Amino acid sequence: MTGAAQPPTLNVAIVDDEEPARALLRQYLAAHPDVRVVAECANGFEAVRAVEEFAPDLLLLDVQMPGLSGFDVLELIGREVAVVFVTAYDRHALRAFEVHAVDFLLKPFPPERLAEALARVRRRLGQPREPGLDRAAAAARPPGVPVARLLVREGAKVHVIPAEALDVAEARDDYVCLRSGGREFLKQQTLAELEGWLDPARFVRVHRSFVVNVARVTRIERYSKDGRLAVLADGSKVPVSRTGLSRLRGVFERR
Amino acid sequence: MHPILAYRGRLGPYLAAWAPLAALLAGLLHIGGAPWVEAAVVALPLAVVYAFICLAAWYPCRSASLQRSSLAKVLTTQAAAAALSAILWLFLANTWVVFLEQFPAFAGVVRRFPDLVPVILAVAVVLYALAAALHYLLIAFEDAQRSERSALELEVHAREAELRSLRAQIDPHFLFNALNSISSLTGSDPAAARAMCLELAGFLRETLRLGGAASIPLAEEIALAERYLAVERARFGARLRVEREVTAEAGACEVPPLMLQPLVENAVKHGVAGLVDGGAVRIEARCGGGLLHLAVENPVDPSAPASPGEGVGLSNVRSRIAALHAREAQVEVKRVGGAFRVEVVMPASSPTRAAGPA
Repeated sequence: MTGAAQPPTLNVAIVDDEEPARALLRQYLAAHPDVRVVAECANGFEAVRAVEEFAPDLLLLDVQMPGLSGFDVLELIGREVAVVFVTAYDRHALRAFEVHAVDFLLKPFPPERLAEALARVRRRLGQPREPGLDRAAAAARPPGVPVARLLVREGAKVHVIPAEALDVAEARDDYVCLRSGGREFLKQQTLAELEGWLDPARFVRVHRSFVVNVARVTRIERYSKDGRLAVLADGSKVPVSRTGLSRLRGVFERR
Repeated sequence: MHPILAYRGRLGPYLAAWAPLAALLAGLLHIGGAPWVEAAVVALPLAVVYAFICLAAWYPCRSASLQRSSLAKVLTTQAAAAALSAILWLFLANTWVVFLEQFPAFAGVVRRFPDLVPVILAVAVVLYALAAALHYLLIAFEDAQRSERSALELEVHAREAELRSLRAQIDPHFLFNALNSISSLTGSDPAAARAMCLELAGFLRETLRLGGAASIPLAEEIALAERYLAVERARFGARLRVEREVTAEAGACEVPPLMLQPLVENAVKHGVAGLVDGGAVRIEARCGGGLLHLAVENPVDPSAPASPGEGVGLSNVRSRIAALHAREAQVEVKRVGGAFRVEVVMPASSPTRAAGPA
C-alpha cells in the first residue's frame, strides 16, 4: 500500500419530499465512508437554500416535489452542482439526460446502482466542465409550451413570478431584469431565451432589449420620426423599435 | 349455414308441413282428371322431392337479399328460380309417371299426364313462392339473432375493457414509490416494512376483487380508499391527513366499484403531494332526497396553474356514472381558492331496494 491518495470527501445533499426515500438514501450512503451528507431537504426551496449554504458537490434530487420540481431546482442552481435524479417516473429520463444530469436512478433501486452513480459523479467532477452547458436546463424545456411561472433565485431565496404577473423584461448584460408589480428581479438568462419561454400571444419583443406584456400596454407614443414608446399601465415607458411596433400590431390584430 | 338443414329438429317440422301440401296436390291432380289412388301415388313422392328442391330456395334468397338487393333483382332472381324448380319438378314428375306406366294398376297414366302439366306447373310456382317466403323469414330471424348476439358480445367486451382500464388505473408509480418506501423501511424498521407490505397487498387484492363486482356498498369503497391512504401516509408522513364524514346510511348505498378510489388518488397526487406543508384529503358522504351526495376535497397549491383538462381518473368516473344513471346523476368539479372539490350526486340505492320491485 503506497498511501494512494484518499478520494476527497463528496458532499451530498439529499432532496426528496418523502422521508422514507431520504432514509433509504441515507442508509445506502452510510456504506460509503468517502461521502458526507451535508443536507437533507424535503422540497426544492430547501434544496436551493442548501446549495447556497453548504455548497454540496452532488444533489441526489427527486423530480416530483411540492412547489419546485427537481428540474426547477436544476434551472435555479445552474451548473454549480452535479445532479443525480432519483425518481419513480421513467418518463423524466430523457429530459434528465438533456439537462446533463450525471445519472438517473429509478425508484426502487439497489445500493449497487447508487454506488455506480457515485462513481460516475466522481469521474465527472474530475473532468473540466464543458462550456455551454449552463443553459442546458433551458434547452430541455418542452418547446411550444409557454411557462406558467418564472423562477428567480436571490441567494438562498426563490421568487416565483406567475407569467401573467410579469410586466416587462429588460436585457442587462448576462441577465434579464424582470419587472413585476413594481419590483425588479435579476435572472441569469438571455432575453431571447426568456422570450422563447413566454406565450407569444401575450408577450412581445418590442425592442432589442425589451419584452413587454401586451396586457400592460395602454398606448403608443411617438417621440421622433422613427422612435416610439409604449406606455404601460403603471406609467412607465418602454422603447419600441420599428419591427417591435409591427410585431405589436400583429398581436393586437390577432386578438 | 342453411336455416333448416343446419339445425337438428327443423327438417322434421318442415317436412311435416308438406303433408297437407301433398294432400292438396293429390286433390288438384284428382280434379285434373286422375283417379284418387293414382293422384295420391303421383303426388306423394313428388311432394317429398319438391320439399327438398324448395330447400334450395335458400341460395337465391341469400344472393337476392331483401335488404341489400333491388326489388327488380329480387323478382327476376326468384322468378328464374321458380321457373327452374317448376321445370325440374315437371321433368321428375314425367319420369315418375313413365315409371308408373309399367304397372298395370296405373295403365294410361302417361296418356292422362299432359292434362296434369298446368296443375303441376302452377302448384310448383306457388309452392316455390311459399318456400322463398319461408327462407326470407328464417334469414331475417337469424340476422336478428346474430345482431342480438353480437350486441351482447360487444357489451361483454366493453365490460371487460372497462375492467382492464380500471386495473390499469392503479398508477404504477404509486407502486414504485411504495416499494421504495418498503425498501427503506426494511433497513430501519422491519416491522413497519412488513405492515406496509400487508397494507399494499390488501389494497391490490381488494382492487382486483371489487373491480369484478357490479356494485358495492360505499363503505367497502371507503375502506379500500383508506388502505390506499395508509400506504401513501407511509410515504408522505404527517403531510398527508385524512378527514372523513360518512353517514351510516350513505355507507350502505351501492356504488359502482372503484369509483371513489381514483378521486382519492387524484386528491393525493395532484393536491396534497404538491403542497410543501401537505394537507387533508376530505371524504364526505350523506344521503338526502333519495340521492347520495359524495364529495372528495383536497387543498391545492393556489399559485399552481389549474390543469387545462381533466385527468383520466376523473373523466372515467364521469362517464361511468353517466352510463349508469344518465341524467339522474352528476359530477361537479369546483376549485374554490385553495381547495379542489369533486362532488358526485347519484340515486341512492341500497341492495335490498335495488333487488326489490321498488
